[in-house]
Amino acid sequence: MITYTNEIYLVFFLPLTLLAYEICPKRHRGKVLIAASYVFFYLISKWLFLYLFGVSVFIYLAARLLERARRSGKRYGKIILIFSVLLPVGLLLALKYTNFIGENVTRLGNLLSGGTAVFQPWSILLPIGISFYTLEAVGYLLDVWWGRIPAEKSLEKVLLFLSFFPKLMEGPILRWQDTEATLFSNESLKLENLETGAIRIFWGLLKKIMIADRLAIVVNNLFANYASHQGLVTVLAAVLYTTQLYMEFSGVMDICIGSAKLFGIVLPENFRQPFFAKNASEFWQRWHISLGAWFKNYIFYPMSTSSLVKKWTKTGRKKFGKGLTRAVTSALCLFPVWMANGIWHGAKWSYIFYGLYYFCIILFETVTEPYWKKGMEKLHINMAAPWYRAGQRVKLLCIVFTGEMFFRAENLHVGVHMFRSIFTGSGMAELKGHLLLNVGIDIDDWNVIIAGLIVVVLYDILKELNVFSLEKLRAMKLPVRWSAYYALIFSVIIFGAYGEGYQAIDLIYAGF
Amino acid sequence: MDTILSILNDIDDTIDYDNEPRLIDNHLLDSFGVITLVSELEEAFNIEIDAASMVPENFNNVEAIWNLVQRKQGVSA
Repeated sequence: MITYTNEIYLVFFLPLTLLAYEICPKRHRGKVLIAASYVFFYLISKWLFLYLFGVSVFIYLAARLLERARRSGKRYGKIILIFSVLLPVGLLLALKYTNFIGENVTRLGNLLSGGTAVFQPWSILLPIGISFYTLEAVGYLLDVWWGRIPAEKSLEKVLLFLSFFPKLMEGPILRWQDTEATLFSNESLKLENLETGAIRIFWGLLKKIMIADRLAIVVNNLFANYASHQGLVTVLAAVLYTTQLYMEFSGVMDICIGSAKLFGIVLPENFRQPFFAKNASEFWQRWHISLGAWFKNYIFYPMSTSSLVKKWTKTGRKKFGKGLTRAVTSALCLFPVWMANGIWHGAKWSYIFYGLYYFCIILFETVTEPYWKKGMEKLHINMAAPWYRAGQRVKLLCIVFTGEMFFRAENLHVGVHMFRSIFTGSGMAELKGHLLLNVGIDIDDWNVIIAGLIVVVLYDILKELNVFSLEKLRAMKLPVRWSAYYALIFSVIIFGAYGEGYQAIDLIYAGF
Repeated sequence: MDTILSILNDIDDTIDYDNEPRLIDNHLLDSFGVITLVSELEEAFNIEIDAASMVPENFNNVEAIWNLVQRKQGVSA
Protein backbone atom coordinates (compact mmCIF):
# COMPACT_ATOMS: atom_id res chain seq x y z
CA MET A 1 0.00 0.00 0.00
CA ILE A 2 1.16 3.51 -0.71
CA THR A 3 1.86 5.82 2.21
CA TYR A 4 3.78 9.08 2.60
CA THR A 5 6.82 7.38 4.09
CA ASN A 6 7.38 4.39 1.84
CA GLU A 7 9.39 3.96 -1.32
CA ILE A 8 6.30 3.57 -3.54
CA TYR A 9 5.42 7.17 -2.71
CA LEU A 10 8.88 8.71 -2.38
CA VAL A 11 10.73 6.93 -5.18
CA PHE A 12 8.01 6.27 -7.75
CA PHE A 13 4.75 8.15 -7.19
CA LEU A 14 6.11 11.58 -6.29
CA PRO A 15 8.83 11.82 -8.99
CA LEU A 16 6.49 10.47 -11.69
CA THR A 17 3.80 12.96 -10.72
CA LEU A 18 6.35 15.79 -10.78
CA LEU A 19 7.49 14.70 -14.22
CA ALA A 20 3.95 14.42 -15.62
CA TYR A 21 3.08 17.80 -14.06
CA GLU A 22 6.09 19.54 -15.58
CA ILE A 23 5.78 18.17 -19.12
CA CYS A 24 2.07 18.90 -19.25
CA PRO A 25 0.84 22.26 -20.63
CA LYS A 26 0.08 24.71 -17.82
CA ARG A 27 -3.69 24.63 -18.34
CA HIS A 28 -3.80 20.85 -17.83
CA ARG A 29 -1.57 20.65 -14.76
CA GLY A 30 -4.55 20.73 -12.40
CA LYS A 31 -5.87 17.64 -14.17
CA VAL A 32 -2.53 15.90 -13.67
CA LEU A 33 -2.72 16.59 -9.92
CA ILE A 34 -6.33 15.34 -9.80
CA ALA A 35 -5.40 12.16 -11.72
CA ALA A 36 -2.42 11.58 -9.41
CA SER A 37 -4.61 12.16 -6.35
CA TYR A 38 -7.22 9.67 -7.52
CA VAL A 39 -4.51 7.11 -8.35
CA PHE A 40 -3.14 7.69 -4.82
CA PHE A 41 -6.63 7.20 -3.41
CA TYR A 42 -7.20 4.08 -5.53
CA LEU A 43 -3.95 2.51 -4.34
CA ILE A 44 -5.23 2.75 -0.76
CA SER A 45 -9.03 2.52 -0.91
CA LYS A 46 -9.61 0.99 -4.35
CA TRP A 47 -13.03 1.76 -5.85
CA LEU A 48 -14.02 3.89 -2.85
CA PHE A 49 -12.49 6.79 -4.78
CA LEU A 50 -15.98 7.01 -6.30
CA TYR A 51 -17.21 8.21 -2.91
CA LEU A 52 -14.77 11.14 -2.94
CA PHE A 53 -15.70 11.92 -6.52
CA GLY A 54 -19.43 11.83 -5.68
CA VAL A 55 -19.00 14.06 -2.63
CA SER A 56 -16.92 16.53 -4.67
CA VAL A 57 -19.53 16.82 -7.44
CA PHE A 58 -22.28 17.15 -4.84
CA ILE A 59 -20.41 19.90 -2.96
CA TYR A 60 -19.67 21.73 -6.20
CA LEU A 61 -23.35 21.78 -7.22
CA ALA A 62 -24.62 22.53 -3.71
CA ALA A 63 -22.26 25.53 -3.39
CA ARG A 64 -23.49 26.98 -6.68
CA LEU A 65 -27.12 26.54 -5.63
CA LEU A 66 -26.37 28.04 -2.23
CA GLU A 67 -24.78 31.10 -3.75
CA ARG A 68 -27.73 31.63 -6.06
CA ALA A 69 -30.19 31.29 -3.18
CA ARG A 70 -28.17 33.64 -0.95
CA ARG A 71 -27.88 36.34 -3.61
CA SER A 72 -31.56 36.26 -4.45
CA GLY A 73 -32.50 36.13 -0.75
CA LYS A 74 -34.51 32.95 -1.27
CA ARG A 75 -35.61 31.24 1.93
CA TYR A 76 -34.90 27.79 0.57
CA GLY A 77 -31.19 28.62 0.79
CA LYS A 78 -31.14 27.48 4.42
CA ILE A 79 -32.81 24.20 3.48
CA ILE A 80 -30.16 23.60 0.80
CA LEU A 81 -27.45 24.49 3.33
CA ILE A 82 -28.77 22.11 5.99
CA PHE A 83 -29.22 19.28 3.46
CA SER A 84 -25.84 19.79 1.80
CA VAL A 85 -24.02 19.88 5.14
CA LEU A 86 -25.96 17.01 6.69
CA LEU A 87 -25.43 14.66 3.75
CA PRO A 88 -21.61 14.37 3.89
CA VAL A 89 -21.57 14.68 7.70
CA GLY A 90 -24.34 12.08 7.99
CA LEU A 91 -22.48 9.69 5.70
CA LEU A 92 -19.29 10.21 7.72
CA LEU A 93 -21.15 9.49 10.97
CA ALA A 94 -22.93 6.48 9.47
CA LEU A 95 -19.70 4.97 8.14
CA LYS A 96 -17.71 5.61 11.31
CA TYR A 97 -20.25 5.14 14.09
CA THR A 98 -22.78 2.49 13.01
CA ASN A 99 -20.92 -0.31 14.77
CA PHE A 100 -20.17 1.85 17.82
CA ILE A 101 -23.83 2.80 18.23
CA GLY A 102 -24.98 -0.78 17.54
CA GLU A 103 -22.60 -2.16 20.12
CA ASN A 104 -23.62 0.34 22.80
CA VAL A 105 -27.34 -0.04 22.12
CA THR A 106 -26.93 -3.84 22.47
CA ARG A 107 -25.05 -3.36 25.75
CA LEU A 108 -27.73 -1.02 27.05
CA GLY A 109 -30.42 -3.51 26.02
CA ASN A 110 -28.59 -6.27 27.86
CA LEU A 111 -28.25 -4.08 30.93
CA LEU A 112 -31.95 -3.25 31.02
CA SER A 113 -33.28 -6.70 30.17
CA GLY A 114 -30.58 -8.85 31.72
CA GLY A 115 -29.99 -10.41 28.29
CA THR A 116 -26.72 -11.60 26.78
CA ALA A 117 -27.17 -10.52 23.16
CA VAL A 118 -23.94 -10.09 21.18
CA PHE A 119 -23.69 -7.36 18.58
CA GLN A 120 -22.30 -8.57 15.27
CA PRO A 121 -20.35 -5.65 13.81
CA TRP A 122 -20.92 -4.86 10.14
CA SER A 123 -18.01 -4.88 7.80
CA ILE A 124 -17.89 -1.23 6.72
CA LEU A 125 -15.19 0.00 4.38
CA LEU A 126 -14.06 3.51 5.23
CA PRO A 127 -12.70 5.64 2.38
CA ILE A 128 -9.25 6.99 3.27
CA GLY A 129 -9.17 10.56 4.58
CA ILE A 130 -12.96 10.84 4.88
CA SER A 131 -12.74 12.72 8.21
CA PHE A 132 -10.47 15.32 6.63
CA TYR A 133 -12.13 16.11 3.33
CA THR A 134 -15.61 16.04 4.89
CA LEU A 135 -14.56 18.95 7.11
CA GLU A 136 -13.02 20.75 4.12
CA ALA A 137 -16.23 20.29 2.13
CA VAL A 138 -18.44 21.57 4.96
CA GLY A 139 -16.13 24.55 5.57
CA TYR A 140 -16.26 25.43 1.87
CA LEU A 141 -20.08 25.30 1.81
CA LEU A 142 -20.41 27.46 4.93
CA ASP A 143 -17.95 30.04 3.60
CA VAL A 144 -19.96 30.26 0.37
CA TRP A 145 -23.18 30.59 2.35
CA TRP A 146 -21.73 33.36 4.51
CA GLY A 147 -20.50 35.19 1.42
CA ARG A 148 -16.83 34.89 2.39
CA ILE A 149 -15.94 33.25 -0.90
CA PRO A 150 -17.75 32.88 -4.22
CA ALA A 151 -18.94 29.42 -5.27
CA GLU A 152 -16.30 27.98 -7.56
CA LYS A 153 -17.39 27.72 -11.20
CA SER A 154 -14.79 25.14 -12.13
CA LEU A 155 -15.53 21.55 -11.07
CA GLU A 156 -11.86 20.76 -11.69
CA LYS A 157 -10.79 23.11 -8.89
CA VAL A 158 -13.27 21.64 -6.40
CA LEU A 159 -12.11 18.12 -7.30
CA LEU A 160 -8.50 19.12 -6.68
CA PHE A 161 -9.28 21.02 -3.48
CA LEU A 162 -10.88 17.95 -1.90
CA SER A 163 -8.55 15.28 -3.30
CA PHE A 164 -5.05 16.84 -3.44
CA PHE A 165 -2.92 13.83 -2.52
CA PRO A 166 -0.37 15.39 -0.11
CA LYS A 167 -3.15 16.21 2.36
CA LEU A 168 -5.54 13.38 1.56
CA MET A 169 -4.62 10.92 4.33
CA GLU A 170 -3.91 13.14 7.34
CA GLY A 171 -4.56 16.77 6.43
CA PRO A 172 -3.78 19.57 7.05
CA ILE A 173 -7.45 20.42 6.69
CA LEU A 174 -7.63 23.07 3.99
CA ARG A 175 -9.70 26.24 3.79
CA TRP A 176 -10.44 27.33 0.25
CA GLN A 177 -9.44 30.96 0.76
CA ASP A 178 -6.11 30.03 2.36
CA THR A 179 -4.94 27.67 -0.38
CA GLU A 180 -6.51 28.75 -3.67
CA ALA A 181 -3.70 31.20 -4.50
CA THR A 182 -1.12 28.44 -4.94
CA LEU A 183 -3.26 25.29 -5.32
CA PHE A 184 -4.64 26.39 -8.67
CA SER A 185 -1.69 28.43 -9.93
CA ASN A 186 -0.20 25.50 -11.94
CA GLU A 187 3.18 27.17 -11.86
CA SER A 188 6.20 25.40 -13.33
CA LEU A 189 8.59 23.52 -11.08
CA LYS A 190 11.24 25.79 -9.57
CA LEU A 191 14.59 24.84 -8.10
CA GLU A 192 13.83 26.87 -4.96
CA ASN A 193 10.56 25.00 -4.36
CA LEU A 194 12.13 21.63 -5.13
CA GLU A 195 14.94 22.30 -2.68
CA THR A 196 12.78 23.54 0.22
CA GLY A 197 10.14 20.89 -0.46
CA ALA A 198 12.63 18.02 -0.58
CA ILE A 199 14.45 19.10 2.56
CA ARG A 200 11.15 19.44 4.40
CA ILE A 201 10.30 15.87 3.33
CA PHE A 202 13.61 14.61 4.72
CA TRP A 203 13.02 16.53 7.95
CA GLY A 204 9.66 14.78 8.26
CA LEU A 205 11.24 11.40 7.50
CA LEU A 206 13.78 11.99 10.25
CA LYS A 207 10.98 12.50 12.78
CA LYS A 208 8.85 9.65 11.45
CA ILE A 209 11.18 6.79 10.55
CA MET A 210 14.14 7.62 12.73
CA ILE A 211 12.26 8.44 15.95
CA ALA A 212 8.50 7.72 15.84
CA ASP A 213 8.69 4.28 14.24
CA ARG A 214 11.19 3.10 16.87
CA LEU A 215 9.14 4.60 19.68
CA ALA A 216 6.05 2.87 18.26
CA ILE A 217 7.59 -0.53 19.11
CA VAL A 218 8.21 0.54 22.73
CA VAL A 219 4.82 2.21 23.11
CA ASN A 220 2.96 -0.80 21.69
CA ASN A 221 4.78 -3.04 24.14
CA LEU A 222 4.17 -0.82 27.20
CA PHE A 223 0.49 -0.27 26.40
CA ALA A 224 -0.12 -3.95 25.57
CA ASN A 225 1.28 -4.95 28.98
CA TYR A 226 -0.28 -2.03 30.86
CA ALA A 227 -1.62 -4.32 33.60
CA SER A 228 1.86 -5.19 34.80
CA HIS A 229 3.12 -1.60 34.95
CA GLN A 230 2.86 0.98 37.70
CA GLY A 231 4.15 4.39 38.73
CA LEU A 232 7.02 5.74 36.66
CA VAL A 233 6.65 3.06 33.98
CA THR A 234 3.05 4.10 33.29
CA VAL A 235 4.15 7.75 33.27
CA LEU A 236 6.92 6.80 30.86
CA ALA A 237 4.40 5.04 28.60
CA ALA A 238 2.32 8.23 28.45
CA VAL A 239 5.38 10.42 27.83
CA LEU A 240 6.74 8.14 25.12
CA TYR A 241 3.38 7.88 23.36
CA THR A 242 3.01 11.68 23.35
CA THR A 243 6.52 11.94 21.91
CA GLN A 244 5.78 9.27 19.30
CA LEU A 245 2.54 10.99 18.30
CA TYR A 246 4.22 14.39 17.99
CA MET A 247 7.16 13.02 16.00
CA GLU A 248 4.91 10.95 13.77
CA PHE A 249 2.10 13.44 13.12
CA SER A 250 4.28 16.53 12.78
CA GLY A 251 6.76 14.46 10.73
CA VAL A 252 4.08 13.31 8.31
CA MET A 253 2.86 16.91 8.10
CA ASP A 254 6.39 17.96 7.13
CA ILE A 255 6.32 15.34 4.35
CA CYS A 256 2.86 16.49 3.18
CA ILE A 257 3.74 20.18 3.25
CA GLY A 258 7.09 19.44 1.59
CA SER A 259 5.41 17.32 -1.12
CA ALA A 260 3.01 20.14 -1.96
CA LYS A 261 5.86 22.65 -1.92
CA LEU A 262 7.63 20.69 -4.70
CA PHE A 263 4.75 21.81 -6.95
CA GLY A 264 4.90 25.35 -5.54
CA ILE A 265 1.73 24.74 -3.49
CA VAL A 266 1.67 26.11 0.05
CA LEU A 267 -0.30 24.06 2.59
CA PRO A 268 -1.05 25.53 6.03
CA GLU A 269 1.17 24.56 8.95
CA ASN A 270 -0.37 22.07 11.37
CA PHE A 271 2.11 22.42 14.26
CA ARG A 272 3.81 25.41 15.85
CA GLN A 273 6.12 24.16 18.63
CA PRO A 274 3.12 23.03 20.76
CA PHE A 275 5.10 22.31 23.91
CA PHE A 276 6.01 25.99 24.23
CA ALA A 277 2.37 26.82 24.99
CA LYS A 278 1.58 28.22 28.41
CA ASN A 279 -1.82 26.57 28.80
CA ALA A 280 -4.12 23.98 27.22
CA SER A 281 -5.99 26.55 25.16
CA GLU A 282 -2.77 27.81 23.58
CA PHE A 283 -1.55 24.23 23.14
CA TRP A 284 -4.49 23.60 20.80
CA GLN A 285 -3.58 26.69 18.83
CA ARG A 286 -0.21 25.05 18.19
CA TRP A 287 -1.12 21.33 17.92
CA HIS A 288 -3.15 20.03 14.97
CA ILE A 289 -3.76 23.69 14.12
CA SER A 290 -5.98 23.09 11.09
CA LEU A 291 -8.42 20.93 13.09
CA GLY A 292 -8.58 23.49 15.92
CA ALA A 293 -9.04 26.30 13.39
CA TRP A 294 -11.86 24.37 11.70
CA PHE A 295 -13.70 23.88 14.98
CA LYS A 296 -13.13 27.54 15.88
CA ASN A 297 -14.37 28.88 12.53
CA TYR A 298 -17.30 26.55 11.95
CA ILE A 299 -18.50 25.60 15.44
CA PHE A 300 -17.12 27.96 18.11
CA TYR A 301 -17.75 31.28 16.36
CA PRO A 302 -21.17 30.35 14.89
CA MET A 303 -22.15 29.11 18.36
CA SER A 304 -20.89 32.32 20.00
CA THR A 305 -22.93 34.45 17.57
CA SER A 306 -26.04 32.25 17.78
CA SER A 307 -29.29 33.67 19.13
CA LEU A 308 -29.14 31.24 22.07
CA VAL A 309 -25.78 32.55 23.29
CA LYS A 310 -26.67 36.17 22.57
CA LYS A 311 -29.92 35.88 24.52
CA TRP A 312 -28.10 34.32 27.41
CA THR A 313 -25.38 37.02 27.36
CA LYS A 314 -27.96 39.81 27.51
CA THR A 315 -30.07 38.34 30.30
CA GLY A 316 -27.11 36.80 32.11
CA ARG A 317 -25.28 40.09 32.49
CA LYS A 318 -28.28 41.79 34.03
CA LYS A 319 -29.17 38.97 36.39
CA PHE A 320 -25.94 37.16 37.23
CA GLY A 321 -23.07 39.55 36.52
CA LYS A 322 -20.18 39.37 34.07
CA GLY A 323 -18.23 36.51 35.66
CA LEU A 324 -20.96 33.87 35.64
CA THR A 325 -22.22 35.02 32.24
CA ARG A 326 -18.75 34.59 30.80
CA ALA A 327 -18.45 31.13 32.36
CA VAL A 328 -21.76 29.90 30.93
CA THR A 329 -21.09 31.50 27.53
CA SER A 330 -17.70 29.78 27.39
CA ALA A 331 -19.29 26.45 28.33
CA LEU A 332 -22.02 26.82 25.70
CA CYS A 333 -19.49 27.57 22.97
CA LEU A 334 -16.81 25.12 24.06
CA PHE A 335 -18.92 22.04 24.69
CA PRO A 336 -19.91 21.37 21.05
CA VAL A 337 -16.32 22.04 19.95
CA TRP A 338 -14.80 19.46 22.25
CA MET A 339 -17.57 16.91 21.81
CA ALA A 340 -17.00 17.21 18.06
CA ASN A 341 -13.25 16.93 18.57
CA GLY A 342 -13.65 13.69 20.53
CA ILE A 343 -16.19 12.20 18.11
CA TRP A 344 -14.13 13.26 15.09
CA HIS A 345 -11.19 11.14 16.27
CA GLY A 346 -13.23 7.97 16.14
CA ALA A 347 -15.87 5.68 17.54
CA LYS A 348 -14.47 5.02 21.00
CA TRP A 349 -15.52 6.19 24.46
CA SER A 350 -11.90 7.07 25.19
CA TYR A 351 -11.95 9.63 22.35
CA ILE A 352 -15.14 11.17 23.69
CA PHE A 353 -13.50 11.25 27.13
CA TYR A 354 -10.46 12.91 25.52
CA GLY A 355 -12.67 15.66 24.08
CA LEU A 356 -14.52 16.23 27.34
CA TYR A 357 -11.22 16.18 29.26
CA TYR A 358 -9.99 19.19 27.28
CA PHE A 359 -13.42 20.81 27.50
CA CYS A 360 -13.21 20.77 31.32
CA ILE A 361 -9.61 21.95 31.42
CA ILE A 362 -10.00 24.79 28.93
CA LEU A 363 -13.29 25.90 30.48
CA PHE A 364 -11.65 25.93 33.91
CA GLU A 365 -8.66 27.90 32.59
CA THR A 366 -10.90 30.42 30.81
CA VAL A 367 -13.24 31.00 33.72
CA THR A 368 -10.56 31.27 36.39
CA GLU A 369 -8.02 33.25 34.34
CA PRO A 370 -9.19 36.77 35.38
CA TYR A 371 -9.37 35.78 39.07
CA TRP A 372 -6.00 34.03 38.86
CA LYS A 373 -4.41 37.15 37.34
CA LYS A 374 -5.83 39.35 40.09
CA GLY A 375 -4.62 36.92 42.74
CA MET A 376 -1.10 36.91 41.29
CA GLU A 377 -1.07 40.71 41.17
CA LYS A 378 -2.12 40.90 44.82
CA LEU A 379 0.61 38.46 45.78
CA HIS A 380 3.10 40.50 43.68
CA ILE A 381 3.98 37.42 41.63
CA ASN A 382 5.48 38.20 38.25
CA MET A 383 3.68 35.96 35.74
CA ALA A 384 6.38 36.66 33.15
CA ALA A 385 9.17 35.37 35.41
CA PRO A 386 11.05 32.34 34.00
CA TRP A 387 10.25 30.16 37.05
CA TYR A 388 6.55 30.95 36.69
CA ARG A 389 6.58 30.11 32.98
CA ALA A 390 8.49 26.90 33.67
CA GLY A 391 5.78 25.97 36.19
CA GLN A 392 3.09 26.66 33.59
CA ARG A 393 4.86 24.34 31.11
CA VAL A 394 5.23 21.54 33.64
CA LYS A 395 1.51 21.79 34.37
CA LEU A 396 0.73 21.74 30.64
CA LEU A 397 2.95 18.71 30.08
CA CYS A 398 1.11 16.83 32.85
CA ILE A 399 -2.21 17.72 31.21
CA VAL A 400 -1.05 16.67 27.74
CA PHE A 401 0.61 13.40 28.86
CA THR A 402 -2.48 12.38 30.82
CA GLY A 403 -4.78 13.21 27.91
CA GLU A 404 -2.67 11.25 25.43
CA MET A 405 -2.53 8.26 27.77
CA PHE A 406 -6.34 8.02 27.72
CA PHE A 407 -6.27 8.69 23.96
CA ARG A 408 -3.89 5.79 23.30
CA ALA A 409 -5.35 3.31 25.80
CA GLU A 410 -7.25 0.38 24.27
CA ASN A 411 -10.46 1.65 25.85
CA LEU A 412 -11.65 3.96 28.61
CA HIS A 413 -11.50 1.18 31.20
CA VAL A 414 -7.82 0.59 30.41
CA GLY A 415 -7.18 4.36 30.51
CA VAL A 416 -8.66 4.60 34.02
CA HIS A 417 -6.67 1.54 35.14
CA MET A 418 -3.44 3.08 33.83
CA PHE A 419 -4.14 6.42 35.47
CA ARG A 420 -4.78 4.72 38.82
CA SER A 421 -1.67 2.56 38.45
CA ILE A 422 0.50 5.71 38.46
CA PHE A 423 -0.28 6.05 42.17
CA THR A 424 -0.21 2.40 43.23
CA GLY A 425 3.53 1.83 42.97
CA SER A 426 6.80 3.46 41.95
CA GLY A 427 7.74 1.22 39.01
CA MET A 428 11.38 1.63 40.03
CA ALA A 429 11.96 -2.11 40.30
CA GLU A 430 10.92 -2.60 36.68
CA LEU A 431 13.13 0.24 35.48
CA LYS A 432 16.09 -1.06 37.46
CA GLY A 433 15.47 -4.47 35.89
CA HIS A 434 16.36 -3.02 32.48
CA LEU A 435 12.74 -2.90 31.32
CA LEU A 436 13.59 -0.44 28.58
CA LEU A 437 15.93 -2.94 26.94
CA ASN A 438 13.18 -5.56 26.92
CA VAL A 439 10.51 -3.63 25.07
CA GLY A 440 11.40 -4.53 21.49
CA ILE A 441 14.36 -2.25 20.74
CA ASP A 442 18.02 -2.37 21.74
CA ILE A 443 20.48 0.19 23.09
CA ASP A 444 21.47 1.34 19.59
CA ASP A 445 17.84 2.14 18.81
CA TRP A 446 17.58 4.12 22.04
CA ASN A 447 20.71 6.05 21.11
CA VAL A 448 19.22 6.91 17.72
CA ILE A 449 15.94 8.01 19.36
CA ILE A 450 17.76 10.20 21.90
CA ALA A 451 20.05 11.74 19.28
CA GLY A 452 17.08 12.40 17.00
CA LEU A 453 15.06 13.93 19.81
CA ILE A 454 17.92 16.24 20.80
CA VAL A 455 18.07 17.52 17.20
CA VAL A 456 14.28 18.04 16.98
CA VAL A 457 14.01 19.69 20.40
CA LEU A 458 16.92 22.03 19.61
CA TYR A 459 15.33 22.87 16.28
CA ASP A 460 11.98 23.61 17.96
CA ILE A 461 13.68 25.87 20.51
CA LEU A 462 15.55 27.80 17.81
CA LYS A 463 12.41 28.06 15.71
CA GLU A 464 10.37 29.31 18.66
CA LEU A 465 13.04 31.93 19.33
CA ASN A 466 12.93 32.83 15.64
CA VAL A 467 16.67 32.19 15.35
CA PHE A 468 16.67 29.29 12.89
CA SER A 469 14.33 27.31 10.64
CA LEU A 470 14.51 25.20 7.47
CA GLU A 471 13.34 28.25 5.53
CA LYS A 472 16.18 30.34 7.00
CA LEU A 473 18.66 27.57 6.21
CA ARG A 474 18.13 28.22 2.52
CA ALA A 475 19.44 31.76 2.90
CA MET A 476 22.68 30.54 4.47
CA LYS A 477 25.99 30.10 2.66
CA LEU A 478 26.25 27.14 0.28
CA PRO A 479 28.74 25.03 2.34
CA VAL A 480 26.69 25.46 5.54
CA ARG A 481 23.44 24.76 3.76
CA TRP A 482 24.59 21.64 1.96
CA SER A 483 26.42 20.30 4.99
CA ALA A 484 23.13 20.49 6.87
CA TYR A 485 21.25 18.90 3.95
CA TYR A 486 23.73 16.01 3.69
CA ALA A 487 23.66 15.46 7.45
CA LEU A 488 19.87 15.28 7.34
CA ILE A 489 19.67 13.04 4.27
CA PHE A 490 22.31 10.59 5.49
CA SER A 491 20.79 10.49 8.97
CA VAL A 492 17.50 9.38 7.45
CA ILE A 493 19.13 6.84 5.12
CA ILE A 494 21.46 5.36 7.75
CA PHE A 495 19.33 5.58 10.89
CA GLY A 496 15.81 5.28 9.48
CA ALA A 497 13.86 2.32 10.90
CA TYR A 498 13.08 0.63 7.61
CA GLY A 499 14.10 -2.47 5.68
CA GLU A 500 15.00 -5.81 7.24
CA GLY A 501 14.31 -6.07 10.96
CA TYR A 502 11.75 -3.29 10.98
CA GLN A 503 8.05 -3.47 10.33
CA ALA A 504 6.34 -0.61 8.52
CA ILE A 505 4.32 1.39 11.05
CA ASP A 506 0.90 2.64 9.93
CA LEU A 507 0.18 6.36 10.10
CA ILE A 508 -1.79 7.08 13.29
CA TYR A 509 -3.93 9.93 12.00
CA ALA A 510 -4.77 8.17 8.74
CA GLY A 511 -6.94 5.92 10.90
CA PHE A 512 -9.17 8.80 12.07
CA MET B 1 -12.49 54.42 18.57
CA ASP B 2 -11.98 55.24 22.27
CA THR B 3 -14.81 52.90 23.22
CA ILE B 4 -13.19 50.11 21.20
CA LEU B 5 -9.80 50.77 22.81
CA SER B 6 -11.36 50.72 26.24
CA ILE B 7 -13.08 47.37 25.51
CA LEU B 8 -9.84 45.90 24.17
CA ASN B 9 -7.89 47.11 27.21
CA ASP B 10 -10.46 45.47 29.44
CA ILE B 11 -9.80 42.17 27.65
CA ASP B 12 -6.01 42.43 27.76
CA ASP B 13 -4.17 45.59 28.82
CA THR B 14 -0.71 44.29 27.94
CA ILE B 15 -1.13 44.83 24.19
CA ASP B 16 -0.21 48.06 22.40
CA TYR B 17 -3.41 48.25 20.34
CA ASP B 18 -2.48 51.51 18.59
CA ASN B 19 0.56 49.93 16.99
CA GLU B 20 -0.54 46.33 16.48
CA PRO B 21 -1.90 45.67 12.98
CA ARG B 22 -2.37 41.88 13.30
CA LEU B 23 -4.02 41.03 16.60
CA ILE B 24 -5.44 37.73 15.32
CA ASP B 25 -2.73 36.67 12.88
CA ASN B 26 -0.05 37.23 15.53
CA HIS B 27 -2.06 35.22 18.09
CA LEU B 28 -2.40 38.18 20.46
CA LEU B 29 -6.18 38.01 20.67
CA ASP B 30 -7.45 34.44 21.06
CA SER B 31 -10.91 33.10 20.30
CA PHE B 32 -12.18 33.85 23.83
CA GLY B 33 -10.90 37.39 23.47
CA VAL B 34 -12.77 37.68 20.18
CA ILE B 35 -16.11 36.45 21.54
CA THR B 36 -15.78 38.74 24.57
CA LEU B 37 -15.00 41.62 22.20
CA VAL B 38 -18.01 40.77 20.03
CA SER B 39 -20.44 40.73 22.92
CA GLU B 40 -19.01 44.02 24.30
CA LEU B 41 -19.21 45.66 20.85
CA GLU B 42 -22.81 44.53 20.41
CA GLU B 43 -23.70 45.99 23.80
CA ALA B 44 -21.77 49.25 23.41
CA PHE B 45 -22.82 50.05 19.83
CA ASN B 46 -26.19 48.30 19.75
CA ILE B 47 -25.24 46.20 16.73
CA GLU B 48 -25.58 42.56 15.71
CA ILE B 49 -22.42 40.71 14.66
CA ASP B 50 -23.21 37.49 12.79
CA ALA B 51 -21.22 34.32 12.08
CA ALA B 52 -20.32 35.57 8.58
CA SER B 53 -18.40 38.51 10.11
CA MET B 54 -16.23 36.27 12.28
CA VAL B 55 -13.11 36.49 10.13
CA PRO B 56 -9.62 37.67 11.21
CA GLU B 57 -9.75 40.66 8.83
CA ASN B 58 -12.54 42.19 10.95
CA PHE B 59 -10.64 41.94 14.24
CA ASN B 60 -6.97 42.29 13.33
CA ASN B 61 -6.63 45.90 14.53
CA VAL B 62 -8.58 48.79 15.99
CA GLU B 63 -9.29 50.29 12.58
CA ALA B 64 -10.68 47.01 11.22
CA ILE B 65 -12.90 46.66 14.29
CA TRP B 66 -14.06 50.27 13.87
CA ASN B 67 -14.89 49.60 10.20
CA LEU B 68 -16.85 46.51 11.19
CA VAL B 69 -18.83 48.50 13.77
CA GLN B 70 -19.58 51.20 11.21
CA ARG B 71 -20.72 48.65 8.64
CA LYS B 72 -22.99 47.01 11.17
CA GLN B 73 -24.36 50.38 12.30
CA GLY B 74 -25.07 51.14 8.66
CA VAL B 75 -27.00 47.89 8.38
CA SER B 76 -29.09 48.45 11.50
CA ALA B 77 -29.75 52.16 10.73
